[in-house]
Amino acid sequence: MKVSLPIALVAIVALAIPAVARDGYVLQLLNIAILNAIVVIGLNFATGWTGQINFGQAAFYGLGAYTTAIATKSGLPWIVTPVLSAVIVLAASLVLGLPTLRLRTYYLAMTTIGFGEIVRLIIVHWEPVTGGTSGLRAIPGISVLGFGPQGQIQHYYLLLAVLALATLVAARIRQSTLGRAMIATKDSEIAAEQSGVDTTRTKLVAFMIGAVYAGLAGCLYASSIRFISPDSFSGVQAVLLMTMLIVGGMGSIAGCIIGAVGLTILPELLRFLGQWYLVLYGLGVIVMIVLLPGGLASMAAFLPVRRSVAK
Amino acid sequence: MGQLVVNGLALGSIYALVALGLLLIFNTVQIVNFAQGQLLMVGAFIGITGAVTHELPIGLAWAATVVAMALIGVVFMLLVYFPLRGRPPFLVILTTIAMGIVLENLALIIWGPLPVSLPSPVRGPPLRFAGVVISMHQLTIFGTLAVILLLQFLMLTKTRFGILMQATAQDLHTARLVGIPVNRIIAVAFALGAVLSGIAGLLVAPIFLAEPTMGGSLGLKGFVVSVIGGFGNLPGAVIGGMFLGLIETFGARYISSNFRDAYAFIVMIAVLVAWPRGLFGEKISEKV
Repeated sequence: MKVSLPIALVAIVALAIPAVARDGYVLQLLNIAILNAIVVIGLNFATGWTGQINFGQAAFYGLGAYTTAIATKSGLPWIVTPVLSAVIVLAASLVLGLPTLRLRTYYLAMTTIGFGEIVRLIIVHWEPVTGGTSGLRAIPGISVLGFGPQGQIQHYYLLLAVLALATLVAARIRQSTLGRAMIATKDSEIAAEQSGVDTTRTKLVAFMIGAVYAGLAGCLYASSIRFISPDSFSGVQAVLLMTMLIVGGMGSIAGCIIGAVGLTILPELLRFLGQWYLVLYGLGVIVMIVLLPGGLASMAAFLPVRRSVAK
Repeated sequence: MGQLVVNGLALGSIYALVALGLLLIFNTVQIVNFAQGQLLMVGAFIGITGAVTHELPIGLAWAATVVAMALIGVVFMLLVYFPLRGRPPFLVILTTIAMGIVLENLALIIWGPLPVSLPSPVRGPPLRFAGVVISMHQLTIFGTLAVILLLQFLMLTKTRFGILMQATAQDLHTARLVGIPVNRIIAVAFALGAVLSGIAGLLVAPIFLAEPTMGGSLGLKGFVVSVIGGFGNLPGAVIGGMFLGLIETFGARYISSNFRDAYAFIVMIAVLVAWPRGLFGEKISEKV
């Protein structure tokens, strides 16, 4: 197990954070970072492994969040909401993916942008149900048979556990036949087809698994942050999720987590830059893509630690 | 009714102009520029800086915008496309999106968030014809589109440069092998693409006002129009533009104006499901 040491270190640091950071604002930010990491791991299935550009991930995130918020606010028990959110995003991703995944890169990028925009417009204009631009407040929290996490520290540990599970599932899928079919599809669709991979089906499944990740993260977002608004799931957010994936490292689960956590916290640290932040951010992404196409995760190859552990 | 048709066609002509700029770049290097809308916005603001802030004559402001956009197009190419030659087009999509973010926020810093208006280049009383009013600005839009289509057609088919450009579009490597200055041609394609979107910006600003965030949806609509018309197909893009302009105008009037920006995507998805290569077929198939 050549990677066990870094993973153990990261786990210890993650578990110890609440002992140091007791500030509610910091914990809230970390909780959002963990949720974003789950969404980006989901995005990695279609984009990082299968090579399909997907700008619909923020919309799936939002669909999960709004489904959960509307369901719990109307009195349904919390326990049904993960299932409900998953079913809704599965249906949406199937309807969107089936006709469009045969299409080439640009068309897919465009149809997913369009899908995100349509979802956003529905959320904004269906005010009686979705609260319009002001969003939904006082969403009931996570509760299973009366038990649920209280306070932000307990939420933090719960979300951390879900992230660990999400990582594990993604790693297992990567090692499966399906995971190898995804990589083959990305490398060369023609070669993959020749080797008996149904590339259209593989793309669709990768897209749908990613959507479920986003939908479930959305469900947890609504019931742990307890406030949602359309801004959190807009097209800007979709681009941001894509940047997290690229900056962290496409195709690497560790990269997804690094990118999501880093780019959730960075804007808060660089707040003093104001509008210039986004200018530097855009230029940074370009520099990153040009100089370090494998993202931050690919820098691990340069670390002496990993080599010594590998021996 | 007739009025809606005129308004729809004018709006559609602007979409067509955005699409022509997009396709000029796409047909040369097979890259879709997702910052085309932001280039349009920059064009509109340069025009405003000239004509409103510095009170230049409108013709001079237009000329200055065209020159500035050509330069911006070349710089844009050097930053966004050039370092990624030969790498997956996927990555170039992302760098163009990132550049769009940069341009939009630079515009916010330079020109501020408030919407500004630009006067139309041609003034005069509107034409009235059987109860339909056609403003001078709408006539200017139709005229500009016609002139640009004609110039683009002449350049591509009658000039030496245009023929070299077509050769580059067909096969970049062979073009390089036979001694065509490929890099220069690509630079000109980006410059002209930026100029076309700049002109579209100059034409949009008098109708909708200019603001830094105006580019996003206009750029996407230029793309939608290209898809509807069959990607790479210039007449298709113009007809696609008119088609979308009409749908939006009639949809906003008879269905709901809240969802005005959604019609484009609904139409595009519907067209792609029914005709995956667009209404009029693609000019160039994907290269393997």
